[in-house]
Amino acid sequence: MLCARRLAGTRNALNGQIGLPGIALGVVSFLLASANLMGSDAPEPPVRIPSNVAWTAETIAKAYSGNALRGLLVARRCDRCHGREGFSSNPRVPNLANMDRLVVWKQLDDFRSGKRSSDVMQSIASSLSLQDTADIAAYYWIMPIAWDPADDRAFPQPLSDPRLEAVAVRLITAGDGSRGLPPCQACHGSVGWVSGAPSLATQNATYLLEQIEAFASGQRRNDINMRMRSIAAQLTGEERRALAESYGAGLSPISSPQK
Amino acid sequence: MGDLMFRDTLSQTTQPAREPSDETANSKIRKRIRSGLVAVMLICVWVSVRLPYEVESGIEALLNGPNRVDPQTLHLRGEFVESNLGTVEEPGDGVTLRMIADQYLFVPQCVLVPTGVPIRVRITSADVVHKPSIKETGVEIKAVPGYVVETHLQFARPGEYEMPCHEFCGPGHYTMRSKLIAVSLQEFRNLSQEARTNCALR
Repeated sequence: MLCARRLAGTRNALNGQIGLPGIALGVVSFLLASANLMGSDAPEPPVRIPSNVAWTAETIAKAYSGNALRGLLVARRCDRCHGREGFSSNPRVPNLANMDRLVVWKQLDDFRSGKRSSDVMQSIASSLSLQDTADIAAYYWIMPIAWDPADDRAFPQPLSDPRLEAVAVRLITAGDGSRGLPPCQACHGSVGWVSGAPSLATQNATYLLEQIEAFASGQRRNDINMRMRSIAAQLTGEERRALAESYGAGLSPISSPQK
Repeated sequence: MGDLMFRDTLSQTTQPAREPSDETANSKIRKRIRSGLVAVMLICVWVSVRLPYEVESGIEALLNGPNRVDPQTLHLRGEFVESNLGTVEEPGDGVTLRMIADQYLFVPQCVLVPTGVPIRVRITSADVVHKPSIKETGVEIKAVPGYVVETHLQFARPGEYEMPCHEFCGPGHYTMRSKLIAVSLQEFRNLSQEARTNCALR
């Protein structure tokens, strides 16, 4: 409105000096301004974008272009939390050994863009270049998952309740059709893989449970097409615990994407 | 006797071919013209059968714009961004329901639609072909990666419908089920935007 009033003022001033062309100019600019105002008045829902990463051929090629030898040097800054060979001693920190390169690439990119929040990881990820990201991904991808007596890893942890295993095995292998819950193994291996879906076979239980809870509450929302948010929100408390602890106990078959 | 017959047939085959008379040449030309006419007629029939469809789809394409989308970047831009999914009321009459089918979920996983108004369903796939079918209605919508598939529906009375995937799409296919809930228009309008978008999360 202010804008329109100011324009009306200029119109009057012009009217005194130039006459008809001034009026015409004023009317045109008034119309333009009102059209602009109407445009901005229309309610526009905020566009929510879960992640800036899309699995286009270029992105996949970039994520696969890492040099594991260079990654060996770059990844030394990750040792403190993620372990020298990608197995963490802290069960709240994810294991990265043998993790698919697309997973590491996407999560680092999401930390960098703020699509996934973490006090520690956001600042570290923003210090990494795209080449560093690909190199780190390549390094962790070639790390073996074989048990090593020398290192100090939290994985595997025994189940807190043996009855949880049956609940988890059913969800991992068959899912639950009545709620539209797909089997975990259809995307997270070993039966099927979806681009960007991490292997869960050697993941820490505490970390997994925290992530399932975060997806369910909507606190973490960097899953493309709301896959994990839709699933996690429908899992009961017992099922969340069962899945996290069963994967954390190493009960699912170990394999990695054939890529 | 046999030898004689053999020689006879041999002599027949070795006879020099006679020059074709004018009559046979004429009949050949006539035959060609006739087959040409038949071909032209067939083409005419095909065109007249197809023409209405072609014109209709052409007009539809002109009105709706190109229905191509990039399945990999649905979440980044365009009408299928996360915040645009679900049922929205249109300024005119009716509602638009936008959905993504991906391995192995429909997004949103539970959709709400009002009864008694035309519903424009726009669906696409993020990976492979899926086919949500609305049980007890005979409606099946094929979601094809790279294309927006549009269907028009209308529900007469409220109800809850199962909406499973009826096209094999991978190891998680058998649990790929979603729900469609039809509520009265009044009830639909009373709901919040969030609740209209995804009833699985309410």
